[in-house]
Amino acid sequence: MTALVLGAIVAVAAVVLVSLPFLTGTDDDLDVPDEAAERRLELMDARDRALAALKEIEFDHETGKIDDVDYRRLVGPLRRAAAEALQAIDRLAEEDLT
Amino acid sequence: MALAVAGVLAVFLVYTAVGGSEPLLEPSNLAGHTGKVSLTGKVVGHVQKSGGTLRFKLHNIQGASGLVPVVYRGAVPDLFKTGREVNLDGHLDGSTFVSTSMTTKCPSKYTASPSSSA
Amino acid sequence: MADLGRAALAVSFGLALYAACAGTYAALEKRRRLADSARNALVACFFSTLVAAAVLAHALVEHNFSFVYVYQHTSRDLSTVYSLTAFWGGQEGSLLLWLLVLTAYGALVVMLNRRLLRDLIVWVVPVMGAIATFFSFILVAVASPFKTQTPPLDGLGLVPSLQNPYMVAHPPMLYLGYVGLTVPFAFAVAAMISGHTDERWIVATRRWTLGAWMFLGFGQILGAHWAYIEVGWGGYYGWDPVENAALMPWLAATAFLHSVMIQERKGMLRVWNMILVALAYELAVFGDFITRSGIVNSIHSFAQSSIGGWFLGFLIVTTLFSITLIIWRLPLLKARTKLESALSREATFLYNNLLLVALCLAILWGVLFPILTAEFLGQARTIGRPYYDFFLHVFGLPLLLLMGIGPLIAWRRSSVRALLKSLRWPIGAALVAGAALIAAGAGSSHPGLIAYTFSAFVLTTIVVELVRGTRATGSLMLLIGRNRRRYGGYIVHAAVVLLAIGIAGSSAYQTNVERTLKPGQTAKVDGYTLTYKKLETIPTVTESGKQVETRALLGLGGRAKGTLATSLINSTLLGPSHAVGIRTDWLRAQDLYVILEQQNANGSIIFQILVKPLVNLVWLAGFVFLGGSLVALWPDAAEQRRLVARLALARG
Repeated sequence: MTALVLGAIVAVAAVVLVSLPFLTGTDDDLDVPDEAAERRLELMDARDRALAALKEIEFDHETGKIDDVDYRRLVGPLRRAAAEALQAIDRLAEEDLT
Repeated sequence: MALAVAGVLAVFLVYTAVGGSEPLLEPSNLAGHTGKVSLTGKVVGHVQKSGGTLRFKLHNIQGASGLVPVVYRGAVPDLFKTGREVNLDGHLDGSTFVSTSMTTKCPSKYTASPSSSA
Repeated sequence: MADLGRAALAVSFGLALYAACAGTYAALEKRRRLADSARNALVACFFSTLVAAAVLAHALVEHNFSFVYVYQHTSRDLSTVYSLTAFWGGQEGSLLLWLLVLTAYGALVVMLNRRLLRDLIVWVVPVMGAIATFFSFILVAVASPFKTQTPPLDGLGLVPSLQNPYMVAHPPMLYLGYVGLTVPFAFAVAAMISGHTDERWIVATRRWTLGAWMFLGFGQILGAHWAYIEVGWGGYYGWDPVENAALMPWLAATAFLHSVMIQERKGMLRVWNMILVALAYELAVFGDFITRSGIVNSIHSFAQSSIGGWFLGFLIVTTLFSITLIIWRLPLLKARTKLESALSREATFLYNNLLLVALCLAILWGVLFPILTAEFLGQARTIGRPYYDFFLHVFGLPLLLLMGIGPLIAWRRSSVRALLKSLRWPIGAALVAGAALIAAGAGSSHPGLIAYTFSAFVLTTIVVELVRGTRATGSLMLLIGRNRRRYGGYIVHAAVVLLAIGIAGSSAYQTNVERTLKPGQTAKVDGYTLTYKKLETIPTVTESGKQVETRALLGLGGRAKGTLATSLINSTLLGPSHAVGIRTDWLRAQDLYVILEQQNANGSIIFQILVKPLVNLVWLAGFVFLGGSLVALWPDAAEQRRLVARLALARG
């Protein structure tokens, strides 16, 4: 008898959980980032990557893994990449405003 | 890079084909094989113990065919008894299989590693 | 109650199928409510599976023998703990455990990421749903844990060798590992289907992959210790197919954990990473398949259980599916940057990947060899220990060396000059260690000597890194706290080094002799003196019938003091087994390991005596590994906040 009751509860609970989204609200927008948001996310990823690489190279230089010569050689392109990424984000923000 | 991987693979094939492997046999197809082989079967009948030697008979795990007398010298692995599935490394000497290395399979159909001694 | 279990599993199957189908439709047609519904179905699937698991657990504890499974794996006098452990002692129960862990991971991962990664989650749901559909189908239609019968008086009981704490921990831990690899796989598939093949899926699943890998690794060490203590042959790893089944996905996952770092930094190796994650997952399923079907132990096992066929089918379908996906998305996955220099950390990671995968494939070849030769040569051939040891040395030793070099090389490009400067201490330490070892006699084994020297090299590297970092940051805690991933990784490397030293010591430099002793006689082995004192015969009756324990007491002298007991246990039902005597020398981390091999008619006993140097480093390595993984895994609240803020900002 308990088995039957418990079984019924499981089945009903499953049905309720599955139909819940249809019972609450009618907004069917999947809310995935659209084109523009995707583009912004990509740029942010690029910015974060560049900044992380810079942070890492600073740390490696500080701890002596990269000597001064190598540091000077490597830090330039990384700073440029980070700056470019920041500029790209700004440009996109400007475009969105206009 | 793909060439390096392919090269490495070729090394395996050569190595295993040439030296590393030995035939995996059952009692029913043991006859005629000379040299070192690996024999798998089920222990049947009475197990004779004398000195450091075990004498018993082995037949196929499935189909119960082929009966091979075995003479085994060495450490007896856990769970060895009549009815157990075992794997023996050795060679055929006349009509008797001589071995010094045996492993047993765990009795439950689904368990972790088998016990062994070599 | 069995009806409830069956019904719950049927509900699980239905929910998983719904999650798979509705989820796919929702993702294609971009319908939020349907996608949420599918996601809820996946979560509900966990709960219904939990109900089924509870039913089985309850029946096991109650020794309800009307359940065939309970009858087969427990008995009246089995303790509660081991009755519960019997849950995963057999085919059907362990499958249910697999499904439970799978649905748990699924529910957790989709709920935790439901807002942050909608575009991926919308596809992760149907993928995990599809996988859950397969396993629940097997449980419903092929191997049900809820078969019933008229209850016999008592059950068959659990094999005594399984009644120990290891059986409680080892399989669940391995499952947390095996099944956990489903998460990165599902995300990889979702990334490919949705076209969002950038690093987002990797960043999202990093901790899940690390966690699964940690459980799989530690689970294996547990298993090795179990074999060492319980099975009593003096070893802890036999290159058995079932052991290899866990090692192969672990190696592939290790390669994956390293190569994703390259993708995160340089956007390279995307195709390779997809292949690796699919390989790790397929090997995990394959591992489960080998263990269940017994196909590689005996080429005739296919007939024993039809489940093998289903698993093989699942393996083939998912592999083909993954390959097709990768080929389809090849344009998206192609790298946009190249490797800058052969002397860079990226390059060392690449070499490490090649070695890890090569070792993994070598083991796979060894495992498959009997099946392939049976199929194509007509005669099954088996591969023994020397093959595996050879490739372990060929691939493993260079890997050990790379573990030391890698951390010292900078990303992008390192100059030879800078590298040599960093390598001064480690190379020096290695040379000193090598010389000292040769003087101490370690030259008797070349691979052993190399392993030791490389280990000294790597350990010095790690120390150098820690010292440098602490000097720069000010405190060790702060250093590790700020760079959990890197320093957690170094701790894991240290664990691997300990493992290497332990393995080298206990295999290359072990002593293994046989001595026949009469009462009163003494044997001298490697600094230990063992005197055979007396024999005790202890008959007992356990749940598996009568057994007689023949216990030999040895007096110890020399390196160890006191007494050591070692036994041969003869059970009428199960045959002989050994309870070995182990004396651990904690200072030297070595074990004196004595096996009672045989009683002779004249009253003498043949003992097998092993001295295993440094073997306890293997177990220590397990704990260090756990610690290092946890450090690397540890959630970073700041990082989480940043990700959430970034998404909000991107939305505008």
